[in-house]
Amino acid sequence: MATTTITKSIPVAKKRARGLTVTGRALMNSSTPMSIACFYGLLILLILAPIYPVMAQANFQSLMNSGVMSAILGGHLTKSFNFSALLAVEVFSSIYGLLFGGFVAWIGGAVLPVTIEDGTLDLALSRPINRTRYYLESWFAVLIGAVIISLVLALGVWIDTFIVNNAGIDWPWMWLTLLVQWAFLFFAAGLGMLCGSFINASRAAGGTAVGIVVLGYLLNTFGGLSNQLQWMVKINPFYYAPAIDPLINHHLTWWYPLVLVAAGLVCGIIGLVVFNKRDLPTV
Amino acid sequence: MQTQEPAIVIESLAKSYGKVQAVRGISMSVERGEIFGFLGPNGAGKTTTIRCMLDVIRPTTGAIRVLGLDAQRDGRAMHQHIGYLPGDVRLPGRMTGKQIINYFANLQGREPVLLNKLVERFDVEMKRPLKGYSKGMRQKIGIVLAFMCDPDVLILDEPTSGLDPLLQKIFNEFLLEEQARGKTIFMSSHIMSDVEKICQRVAVIRKGELVTVEAVEALREKAGQQITVEFGNAVSEQELARIPGVSMLTKTNGSYHFNISGSMDPLIKALSQHEVIRLNSQEAPLEEVFLKFYEEPARATQLAQ
Repeated sequence: MATTTITKSIPVAKKRARGLTVTGRALMNSSTPMSIACFYGLLILLILAPIYPVMAQANFQSLMNSGVMSAILGGHLTKSFNFSALLAVEVFSSIYGLLFGGFVAWIGGAVLPVTIEDGTLDLALSRPINRTRYYLESWFAVLIGAVIISLVLALGVWIDTFIVNNAGIDWPWMWLTLLVQWAFLFFAAGLGMLCGSFINASRAAGGTAVGIVVLGYLLNTFGGLSNQLQWMVKINPFYYAPAIDPLINHHLTWWYPLVLVAAGLVCGIIGLVVFNKRDLPTV
Repeated sequence: MQTQEPAIVIESLAKSYGKVQAVRGISMSVERGEIFGFLGPNGAGKTTTIRCMLDVIRPTTGAIRVLGLDAQRDGRAMHQHIGYLPGDVRLPGRMTGKQIINYFANLQGREPVLLNKLVERFDVEMKRPLKGYSKGMRQKIGIVLAFMCDPDVLILDEPTSGLDPLLQKIFNEFLLEEQARGKTIFMSSHIMSDVEKICQRVAVIRKGELVTVEAVEALREKAGQQITVEFGNAVSEQELARIPGVSMLTKTNGSYHFNISGSMDPLIKALSQHEVIRLNSQEAPLEEVFLKFYEEPARATQLAQ
């Protein structure tokens, strides 16, 4: 009797729009590291504004002309010191790649393994969604995260202009700077996706991706100390994101960011191939 | 659904992890509208086989087709007809039951038409974050996720694990109703009594090899009757052991216990030679047959014959 009742009362399952379901879920999973990155970005920017008058009295010009400092920061300061220069040194130098690139690499590395750990990957892939789409939607979520971080930093700079008198931010070049740094984040995202495509634990995958970013920073720093180590500079990603140049010197080597985008794409596509071919583990 | 071949066809499936052969060339098929039990001890290769069916892991050799669709080539089309319940239901703790159901319904691309019935029937908690759920509560969510979009083929790995006896009973009734609606159900289980009650056929896998694929009814016939007899005079064990079909002969508290398969006639004739004080006969539980398949390959072969 029960059977008859059920058969009569169950309608045929109608189609439902899938949208970017995996992207939404991946963004939710990444909300903690993304929030931390945004928090630190805003915090640094909001601290810079009140200390600018003091910093302006320090001899930054000579500091920036030292080989060691320019290697650490990833650029030369050729114009006089102003608020843009302080932003360039404290936020948009190599520190940007190290800090925010590190966060994005972590998010990218963890975005797939975290779904292995929480048990949803098996269940998701037993639905009519193929691995390629699952991977690309996850990657897209990491890139959205990178955009959010960039926009929050832009917001922080904008807030600073209300605190600092005559901040003198050249906004077109600021956006270009953010774009150059976003290219670095794009690379970090691809690198993270590659690590997460074959490492099963989110912390291990995120940690590996961050480790590679840090290694790049070390290559950049030590390579800048001597002409004989220039090869180390040329092979690290920080070399291709000299954000100090557009922000202060209003100069950009246009193809540098493209190198980062291409490297990010290559990493991400290799990750996609690996993810498609591999056996997915249980928890 | 493209052809009228069996709902699930597994051909020469093998899966190796390095030197370890988890599944060694198994072949079987599951008919449409059948409840098929997949049994075996831990580490036998049940979950590996199921994960190959879902294309979550790739077979070393062999092929799997579900409703005529190749698991690897036509994965996306195949998954539109499948509901899957994993052996260990793990869910993200920050989401609520409602959110996770909505997420997987979106991925399925279909409305969860059975959702309300399932929630009501299994008394599923929907509002609390999943991190506070017990194993049984997570299992109930897993059941909802598997069945809610009304798939044609259900692949269930230890479906009643973590459920209390009452819910196990409700779930078994539900499976029979789903079968009556034409659904095909492939389930692995350790609970032999469940398998015995609801499955039409079973396959037993041991160390990656298929030991047998049998109709439960045929196994029941092979298991025969479980006999307890108490004699008024002295009867030797050897005399009883000689009766055709007698197995598992033991003696406790003056009574003999044994199983007998096939015709009862030789037993009746042998017992008539002695003074019988008490005689009890009941169907032998299939559990013992299954366990024999698990333990002794030689005995399993004998039973299969």
